[in-house]
Amino acid sequence: MESKADGGAHHAPSQAWSKLTDTLSRWSFMLPSAILLGALLAYPIFYTIQISFARFDLMTFSAVEWVGWENYAHVLDDYRFWASMKVTLVYLALALPLQIVLGFGIAFLINAEWRGRGLVRALFIIPMVVAPVVAGGIFRMILDPLWGIMNYLLGLFGIGPLDWFGDATLAMATIVIIDTWRWTPFVVLIATAALLALPRDVFEAADIDGANWWAKLWSITLPLLVPIIAATFVVRWLGAVKMFDIALAATYGGPGGATNVINLFIYEEAFRSLRFAESAAMAVIILVLTMILTGVFLHGTRKLEEYY
Amino acid sequence: MLRLLSAAAVSRRALLAAVTAVALSGTAAQAQSGFGTPEKPIEVRMIANEAFANQWQTLMVPEFNKAFPHIKVRIDGVPYVELLAKTMLDATGPSPTYDIFIADDPWIPQLATVGALLDLKSPDVQKWTAPAYDWNDFNAAPLAAGEWKGVQYGVPLRSNMLMMFVNKTHFEKAGLPAPTPALTWKQFLEQAPKLVRDTNSDGKPDAWAIDTYFVREPLTPTIWQAILNANGGSLLDDKGKPAFNNPVGIEALETHKKLLDFAPTGAVSHGFSESMQAFRQGVVATLINWGSIYKGSAIDPKTTTLKPEEVSIQVLPGGSAGPGSHRGIWNGSVSAKSQNKQAAWALLQWLSSKQGEAWHSANLGVFPARKSTLASTPSEAWLKPVFAALQQAYDAAEKGKMWRIRHPRSDAAQQILADEVARFMAGKATAAEALQTAAGKIEKVLN
Repeated sequence: MESKADGGAHHAPSQAWSKLTDTLSRWSFMLPSAILLGALLAYPIFYTIQISFARFDLMTFSAVEWVGWENYAHVLDDYRFWASMKVTLVYLALALPLQIVLGFGIAFLINAEWRGRGLVRALFIIPMVVAPVVAGGIFRMILDPLWGIMNYLLGLFGIGPLDWFGDATLAMATIVIIDTWRWTPFVVLIATAALLALPRDVFEAADIDGANWWAKLWSITLPLLVPIIAATFVVRWLGAVKMFDIALAATYGGPGGATNVINLFIYEEAFRSLRFAESAAMAVIILVLTMILTGVFLHGTRKLEEYY
Repeated sequence: MLRLLSAAAVSRRALLAAVTAVALSGTAAQAQSGFGTPEKPIEVRMIANEAFANQWQTLMVPEFNKAFPHIKVRIDGVPYVELLAKTMLDATGPSPTYDIFIADDPWIPQLATVGALLDLKSPDVQKWTAPAYDWNDFNAAPLAAGEWKGVQYGVPLRSNMLMMFVNKTHFEKAGLPAPTPALTWKQFLEQAPKLVRDTNSDGKPDAWAIDTYFVREPLTPTIWQAILNANGGSLLDDKGKPAFNNPVGIEALETHKKLLDFAPTGAVSHGFSESMQAFRQGVVATLINWGSIYKGSAIDPKTTTLKPEEVSIQVLPGGSAGPGSHRGIWNGSVSAKSQNKQAAWALLQWLSSKQGEAWHSANLGVFPARKSTLASTPSEAWLKPVFAALQQAYDAAEKGKMWRIRHPRSDAAQQILADEVARFMAGKATAAEALQTAAGKIEKVLN
């Protein structure tokens, strides 16, 4: 008993020491990354938050005086901020579902066995590697009411000429089209990978039970893909909410602010108007809103995973 | 023989370089100390708009180096929309990278307010200024772009003005007289319907009266402002408060929008490039754009479909107070923290001198600011009518104070104007509502 007790007493410090060294060694491996992350990610965020509560002095190009919620009050009092938020919501409500539906739809089609499928998959990557500003410029040429090929083609069917950039509704449609052209391939790639990873035995069992194409799609494929669709939606949401370069290149936010998405507004206020403090306040508001909505979407994703 | 000719040419260039260097520096001794030596050349760095930075680096700098061979110049081109922010960031740092800032017309107050710029008429700089450098020879309007609160911080290097380009063929075919500088907006709007024509009889118009800035961007309000100024209105009053929210301002804005009725399909999204292309493709009778595009629009067959004889350039149509225009000067200024102030000023001095301006306009088609240059016979025949129109524009701009708001927060004010003008153009607000909103916001920003 005594020797046991002795042994236990001797063992406890050694276990604690081992745990401590283990923790230390883990942290020592993590420390460089943590410092890098802190410097590159956390510092700019905290600096933005600091600027948003301060007066920004252009003389020293730094935050100099604590002004509390003043910058936030200015932003919330500016109708242009709310107009840009509304524009952003419309853009997200149109672009995201369209890209998800198109992306998964195309993935279904190119997942079937047919010649040239590999080439089509490879071609799908092209829009993703085109810089957004270039994409905006290309579409500006294609959709130009005077010189663009789109109006020429529509004219052959007696349609138009359409003012793609001058009409508020069409200008928004233009932004959605360009963004969809750029990002649907990304959804297609994820959806294709997900489709290839689906368990074959379930489909074989469905075949034995005599399930038709539609029954397999509706009752097996879609339920199995729901978590992937939800995750893809969250990833695209995080990308789409940042969009401003396409609008900058294609419509300049016009006509009359009809495509002035919030990040374009923030960019203009910061770099054209040099209103860095107000821009920082807007950026913080967007950051908080994005985090909340992303949290909601992730929660929804988990619920869907549990449900299916 | 060839070698002899070559040697003679080299010695002439060397002599010219030496004479210019000495003339600009005052004494040969100063030339040695501040302008570098073969063993210790000085490097001067400049931040400029990417639209012309490369052209300057490849063509202007070698020309400058003929006079100052030991001053190495490195020019970094930055997109226009980022130039002010990057310049401010650099200028406010403890040791700025750049010795020379190339600042757009309304930026001098912002840069001067943060103490970034050197007073070019201070005693120190005067010592480095050639006696032949004639400040009084500059037209007042372009020189004033480099001034803030009585201090001269910049010199005009690329003098641009909003001008009216005319395709005389359109007027001829419409049975109208070619416009003259006496043209008013009222007359132009009476003529405009006749200039919208269906030339190929397909039932749709394919020739229009005008194209210019209508898109949502900071330079679009300059068109409205030119109409406002031509009718005696102004952006700010003597106390610096918005003064455009009145019937003159409203009428000017409505005139700007009315131009859309006679402009190409989709012109509401047209800005600098789109309107310029419409003119160069020959589909519009007139264009209001920056004068510097004249060479590419009327002379250079690589960039235009038009013949020189069918294009003319003049001031904008007038109102009750006279013809219109709008100033757009690129100023050269020296960083107050530069370690190479003398060399930096030597470059700006050379480029804005009578000789520099003559070379600049003849070789790069850049417009001069000096009265003597504009009054002289230009080396290129096409520049003659341009110089005459430019002088009229300078006079009009000076008389009507035709420039953007001059204030440390002028860009914020200009962005507000851009937003409100765009809102009106898109039919989301009346002219009165747009101007009232703009006036309220600008008053807050300027305070």
